[in-house]
Amino acid sequence: MFNFAFNSLSEAFLMQSQNGQNHGFFVWSVVVIVFLCILSTFIFYKINIKKLSKKLK
Amino acid sequence: MNVIKFELLKLRSKSRGWLGPILVFILIMVAFPLTVEISNKDLDQSFFAVLWIAILLVMMLSTEDIFLEDFNDGSLEQFAISNISLPYIIAAKIFIYWLLIGVPISIIGSLFCLGLTNSANLAINILPILLITSYIFINVFSFGNALSLNKGSALGTLVTLPLLLPLMIVLGKTVISINLNLNYLGFVALLLGILSTIILLIPLIISYIIRAHLE
Amino acid sequence: MIKKFIHQFASPKTYIYQVDRAYSYIFYISLVLYLVSIFWGLFLTPEDFVQGNSYRIIYLHVPASFISQSLYIAMAIASAIFLIWKVKLSVYLVRSIAPIGAITTFIALISGSIWGIPTWGTWWAWDARIVSTLILFIMYLGLISLHDSFSNHEKADKFLSILVLVGSVNIPIIKMSVEWWSTLHQPASITISDKPAIDLVMLYPLFGSIVGFAGLVTCLVILSSKLQILRRERNKSWIKNYV
Repeated sequence: MFNFAFNSLSEAFLMQSQNGQNHGFFVWSVVVIVFLCILSTFIFYKINIKKLSKKLK
Repeated sequence: MNVIKFELLKLRSKSRGWLGPILVFILIMVAFPLTVEISNKDLDQSFFAVLWIAILLVMMLSTEDIFLEDFNDGSLEQFAISNISLPYIIAAKIFIYWLLIGVPISIIGSLFCLGLTNSANLAINILPILLITSYIFINVFSFGNALSLNKGSALGTLVTLPLLLPLMIVLGKTVISINLNLNYLGFVALLLGILSTIILLIPLIISYIIRAHLE
Repeated sequence: MIKKFIHQFASPKTYIYQVDRAYSYIFYISLVLYLVSIFWGLFLTPEDFVQGNSYRIIYLHVPASFISQSLYIAMAIASAIFLIWKVKLSVYLVRSIAPIGAITTFIALISGSIWGIPTWGTWWAWDARIVSTLILFIMYLGLISLHDSFSNHEKADKFLSILVLVGSVNIPIIKMSVEWWSTLHQPASITISDKPAIDLVMLYPLFGSIVGFAGLVTCLVILSSKLQILRRERNKSWIKNYV
């Protein structure tokens, strides 16, 4: 169950499937977008809470 | 009964309130074939899309100040504290708007359908759909208008517009069912069910909103 | 005694102190779970027979869409609690969940449309589930703009709750649309009654990523509700002690 699906880093980057299509671009762009969204939301809220707490002191 | 007569007189005297939307609707439906190349096959497909969008926009226009004048001159407060229940007055108001704006538009719409698609079957079958749909639209848009009553802006109406998009999906499938003679009565029953729920709920919700505005 | 236990949750002050204590645990556990599930899903699962390797977007797309619908249901329940029992904390939560729901729906839409390019050949299709999710996104934005357009907070709270409840008719449409109409989007692979239509090896990281993403979204909702409480209760005396 725990074998790596890709044998090397460059293969993981491209994610070539058995019928020869390179879908790595799509998967990695979705991963990047999702992580950026979540990260920026966390940072946005932390900064605003800090600003508001400072104002209310 | 007196309430309905009163609302009827009020709306009839404000002639731009009911004549305006009807004329806008006629204008849109007349302008549509002019902007499309006159070939009969294409008119069939895109006619219904323009019809639903035209009805949506005209209903949005016509309910823009359904409660505004009453709110501004204080008669809404009189309604709220009168003996007659506020949901009933609101339901009567919406009914009158439908009678004076929705029904003529439905009839004119089915006439245009007859003219542009040359099929009497389509035109007769689309008439009850148009009547029910315009009533649902007026209900939902007056709910939207009540939300942003004191500002007078269109924000409330725009916010309730996404709620009607699933209804447009159903309407598209209804037209297909008329064309292929599939399950027409089923769709009419579905629309009647939606209408009955909305007629009962929306006046109650709007009366709650208006009482919140008046405090 | 149970009533007293529940009543103490209705105060924003108790809420904010207790949530501060639990925040770190929730954040780190869910972050680890999410990253492990994503890593497992991206690198350790075999490739799909039909879709090739692009099915791995499922580990990012399904949690986002499931959580966005659940957030709306949570908002509807909180709005009902506010309208019936007039608990102010409920409406603070509704207002703070709205932006998070918008972001989650945005993630679901973007990941779904990028997934559509290798699978269906098109990045957008006007079928019922996709359009209903777009409507959900627009509704989240409309809720935020409606609440911010009122200067009187009590009126704004009431109208926000009513609009959330009226708009909750969209959620059954999203969930049932793949069954009612035959559309491009595939039907649910995980149901309560039947055996799952997806292989077990791919199912475990999916569950892990759903739970992990739910935990991360809970942390975001906690942060957002803290901001909302600080804004709305700024004139109360306990705020000085808190900051």
